[in-house]
Amino acid sequence: MARDLMDIRAETDELTTDKMWVIMGPQHPFSHGLWTLKVELDGELVTDAEPIVGYLHRGWEKECENRSYAKIVPMADRLCYAASMTYSHLYCMTVEKALGLEVPEKAQYIRVVADEICRISSHLMWLAAVGTDLGNLTVFLWCMREREYWMDLFVRLCGARMTTNYPRIGGVRNDITELFDRDVDRCVQHFEKALWDIIALIDDSSIFLSRMKGTGILTCEQCVNLGITGPAMRGNGVDFDIRRDDPYEAYDKIDFEVPVLNDGDSYSRYMVRVEELFQSCKIITRAMQKIRAIGKNAPYRYKAPTNVPAGTAMCRLEDPRGESLMYLVADGSGKPYRLKVRSPIFTNVSASKPLVVGSRIADVPVIMAMIDMCLGETDR
Amino acid sequence: MANTKKVMDYKYTSEKGNVENMPFLKRYPRNTAKTLWVMKPIVKVFQLLGKTTVHRPVCILYPYEKMWVPDNYRGRPGLDFNMCLGCGMCVRMCPTTAIVLVDAPDDDGNIVKRPQINMGRCAFCGYCAEYCPVDAMTVTPEFELAEYTREDLIYGPRRLAYEGTNDMMKVELEETLISDVKNGNPERRIKPFMIDRPELDSSKCISCRKCEKVCPVKAIKMVEHGTNAKGRPILWPEIDDSKCVCCHNCVDDCPKSALHIKEVL
Repeated sequence: MARDLMDIRAETDELTTDKMWVIMGPQHPFSHGLWTLKVELDGELVTDAEPIVGYLHRGWEKECENRSYAKIVPMADRLCYAASMTYSHLYCMTVEKALGLEVPEKAQYIRVVADEICRISSHLMWLAAVGTDLGNLTVFLWCMREREYWMDLFVRLCGARMTTNYPRIGGVRNDITELFDRDVDRCVQHFEKALWDIIALIDDSSIFLSRMKGTGILTCEQCVNLGITGPAMRGNGVDFDIRRDDPYEAYDKIDFEVPVLNDGDSYSRYMVRVEELFQSCKIITRAMQKIRAIGKNAPYRYKAPTNVPAGTAMCRLEDPRGESLMYLVADGSGKPYRLKVRSPIFTNVSASKPLVVGSRIADVPVIMAMIDMCLGETDR
Repeated sequence: MANTKKVMDYKYTSEKGNVENMPFLKRYPRNTAKTLWVMKPIVKVFQLLGKTTVHRPVCILYPYEKMWVPDNYRGRPGLDFNMCLGCGMCVRMCPTTAIVLVDAPDDDGNIVKRPQINMGRCAFCGYCAEYCPVDAMTVTPEFELAEYTREDLIYGPRRLAYEGTNDMMKVELEETLISDVKNGNPERRIKPFMIDRPELDSSKCISCRKCEKVCPVKAIKMVEHGTNAKGRPILWPEIDDSKCVCCHNCVDDCPKSALHIKEVL
């Protein structure tokens, strides 16, 4: 719709007004975190955009070169507060690959469960942010209320709510506790019902629909060329999920669907994420059945050597936000020589120009909310 | 939506990209105006209103009521002063270098080394409790740590004590050795890093006795192995396996790096 207006403007070339750069951020309600989006406006239409990140750069990769391997696990939690479990998991997986160590079967399933709980709480945080971006505080409050149950599960599992520090090189920190085993199924059943209420708030509201449908359109080809990954990519019709197509841990033994939509607008990205919430619930239930079948006394952690042999290792996994990757260069000592992080959001936010150009300034918060900004991992 | 171009020949492009293929969301009735669900939004609103009205409040009156946390909650670290060996394993493992060893008088008035934690730097990762060889360091469910000055945040060895420490707060790592699995006995061992032992490269040793002095559990004895060219005795450390807790102190303090940890895997 917005693009048609652009064409009319280009054809008629009347009403010439000066173009104006508007700087949104770093302190702006739409920017979740510290980043700036410079947009060039022609009236209300966005004609150019440029993201500026780097306000939160804290030298994470350099800091890692000065620490022993075990001490980086709590640091990897701090890459992204909402997806702490996946990042420390990714780090441990990379070091295990460099060591040539295979994790016990029980630890693989526990990691799957923990990752999916992390995905649910991250997506709920995103849904809450979408609610506030669009001015609906009920969505925010209800999402945060549901998120508390998953945070409580994390407390029962590993003793911390957000910076969990749970995966370890060679396995996980502790076995699943009795409280976690008791509560996880109840939590899943409760959430599968409660999510429909939140969906009713959004999908039955014409305000939400009119602001999400048809904004931020990318084609499938554009999306692939820009390197967008994660739910934002699957909302554009690219059917690719690392959990299914390049399975790690125990994902190949668990049956689940990967939601894909061809529309390529903000609404389809929203739908893909909400469907992922349901799928994560399904994965948790199935993985917990497997964990119970494995038995209580099975090993969940192998002892790993402190020094990693010289060489390189690369690992990737499906973060809640997209494809995150770590590349480790080890020199045989107890500290990494280099640890490179590929953050999904750093790539996704670089696509903000094609995303917002042609839309109106009022649609920019909605479009950018759909890539779920997290600055901790972007700036590192 | 008219502008959406489908590039179907891309390798990963899916033909199932339709709401009908989503197992859960397809259950939600779309096109509300066209179907019999015209009344649905209104019914749903009253349903949710009734539900949220009778629901008990989710919030708690925080300073008066407190949220229940399980015993394994990772709050501030706690310390059992008399159990602690002063080995410095927590100092070595702390990712934020929040812990330092300080001199403190024990119950008999002797000066001993005990950890002191700067809570302003603590990341609540629980590593100090995990790697403590004697479980003197624990995690505690205490999380209200606000103070008026930064100096107040520094917890000395006596202040770290936590009343009501129970067994759940002692973090006991269980690991399995890969060699055990190969032998067909995958048993879990508690804190197996303690079976690592320092090993001596005797050609580098200069008999300086530093390892003997630094050992917190007095596991090292200097044993004479003949005399050197000048007629002085050659002393090599000998490690008592039953006392050693593998705290790495002798390895770190060796001036010629003659000792190294031999890991049992």
